[in-house]
Amino acid sequence: MKMGVNTEIAFTYLISRKKQTLVAALGVTFGISMFIFMNSLITGTNEYSEKAMLSATPHIRLYKDHAMSSASLLDNYLGRQTVNLIVNPQLVPDDNRIDNPEAVMQLLKRNQLITAMSSQVSANVLYSHGGVQENGNLQGVDILQQDKMFDISSTLVSGSVKALDNNPGSILIGVGLAERLNLQMGDHINITTSQGIVKSLQVAGIFKTTIKSIDNARSYCHASAVQQLLQRDRAYITDIFINIRDHHQAPAIGRQLEQLTGFTAESWQSNNETALAGQKIRNIIANSVVITILIVAGFGIYNILNMVIYEKIREIAILKATGFQGKDVIGIFIRQALFIGMIGAIAGMVFGWLISLLVSHVYIGAGNVTYLPVTFRIRHYVQGGLFGIATSFFAGYIPALRASKVDPVQIIRG
Amino acid sequence: MSIALQCDHINKYFTEPQRFRVLNEVSFSINQGEFVSITGKSGSGKSTLLYILSTMDTDYEGALYIHEEQLSGKGQPVLAPFRNAHIGFIFQFHYLLPDFSCLRNVMIPALRAGRWGREEVEARAYEKLRLLGVEDQALKPASKISGGQQQRVAIARALINEPAIIMGDEPTGNLDSRNTAVVFDMFRKLTAEFNKTIITVTHDNDFAQRCDRIIEMVDGSIVST
Repeated sequence: MKMGVNTEIAFTYLISRKKQTLVAALGVTFGISMFIFMNSLITGTNEYSEKAMLSATPHIRLYKDHAMSSASLLDNYLGRQTVNLIVNPQLVPDDNRIDNPEAVMQLLKRNQLITAMSSQVSANVLYSHGGVQENGNLQGVDILQQDKMFDISSTLVSGSVKALDNNPGSILIGVGLAERLNLQMGDHINITTSQGIVKSLQVAGIFKTTIKSIDNARSYCHASAVQQLLQRDRAYITDIFINIRDHHQAPAIGRQLEQLTGFTAESWQSNNETALAGQKIRNIIANSVVITILIVAGFGIYNILNMVIYEKIREIAILKATGFQGKDVIGIFIRQALFIGMIGAIAGMVFGWLISLLVSHVYIGAGNVTYLPVTFRIRHYVQGGLFGIATSFFAGYIPALRASKVDPVQIIRG
Repeated sequence: MSIALQCDHINKYFTEPQRFRVLNEVSFSINQGEFVSITGKSGSGKSTLLYILSTMDTDYEGALYIHEEQLSGKGQPVLAPFRNAHIGFIFQFHYLLPDFSCLRNVMIPALRAGRWGREEVEARAYEKLRLLGVEDQALKPASKISGGQQQRVAIARALINEPAIIMGDEPTGNLDSRNTAVVFDMFRKLTAEFNKTIITVTHDNDFAQRCDRIIEMVDGSIVST
């Protein structure tokens, strides 16, 4: 291997002090493995909770809000000769339907960022079976679209979405509801609305999302069934659920869709603000722990190099006497720091991966969490390595600068 | 005969603990191939003068020329490579790097210079070690050989870049009489056979008497050249 004389000197110093080198490198290793582990666990947890949120919420929900009464009708009727004002305007009650849903869906389909759409009509209903009653929320959907969005198939413990699609008189219920009402596949369930309309539907499937509020109350059926229960026409749609390519962009795209369609868009983020605040706080805690560890590791390198320079001050003076410049001396000690950093970083990546692997096999079994959610991202390992090397560089630069300023005359003459 | 080194009206002051004139209007020149001793009592400023001549100390007034190149007023980025190429330095203590083998110690200044490839540097280092009779110690760590051998390795290190001028600060100050004789003969040979210029600071009178020329200093001034 061909190497410069500075590198050769740096290496010889490191090798002649194996223990010190090792201790310094271990500091970096520890820092970086914690960095990787913390990031993997936090990302895993965040992704897990995001996934849980998105299993019940669409990225964007499009619906019609009550509007404030406006002066536009007055303008039409009275003309614009006078300024028409409404004193004390009120919210205008509306039936909150999406007007002309087919046209809206067609319009939305042209947007490349949208990956899935599902129109909804929902009703608060009373489920009854054998004299027992339960409150709940019945969603009339195109089940195939809805399945594409929330992957209902994977949560089914019996039955299938196909069965529901084929039979307009059938229903998918949650496992909690099935237990409370003692319902099996193929049983009939009575649905009653607040207006007193009753309809009987046959159970075509039972799902288990592990989110209690959903398993106990939600059910899916054909949109036409809900429209009948509500005594509405076949075009009565209350919400359009939209999934987009990158769910982090939901608020921005939501605003675009509001402009485009004139309806109100609600992003999943605004629906889950507390949970997202929790994520942010988790990130801050993890990052501050990691930064502290890296700084401590940096001080370790700084200390050891300072000690080496103190021991070697005479040798540095000799090197300068034989024609080494300040920048050569800096080069020698920076190389030592970087080498320590590199060894530490590589070991840290391996060690961080091992810890992550170990922790991902820890059984938690709390709620619907089985194992600790841990991600394995190349990004975290690359970042960890770079941070470690950068820390080593800065920790090495200060002592190296000091070494470069050694005055050989002063040292040699004593 | 060409002039190897020349200094004109060199003055130097120490400011600690109070302003004090260490060197007073020092002027002289040394010819190529001369073997010169600078002598004087402790505190006469002879070592201070040598460190100025070696270009390591730049804090002085006056002019310094080596091979007709003016070096006074230049900074270390210029002086360090110059020193590397043209001046070999030998100290009272060997000051070898203890973590390296003797061979590596000799090679390091040449590797820094980068004038020759690694193989050639190694061959030349062996040649210098052979010249000084310590070839068989080449691969031992510098801390594992005797004091006399260490000083010889240090001389080999000073010679590796083929400098025209070799400077010594009490090069035999730490050696017994047998090793002192070896080192003296070596210096003699370098001037006679290789036309090197040698400037040493010493207070060993025997050593000084046998040189070509003695520059004697008293209280920062030259009293005889």
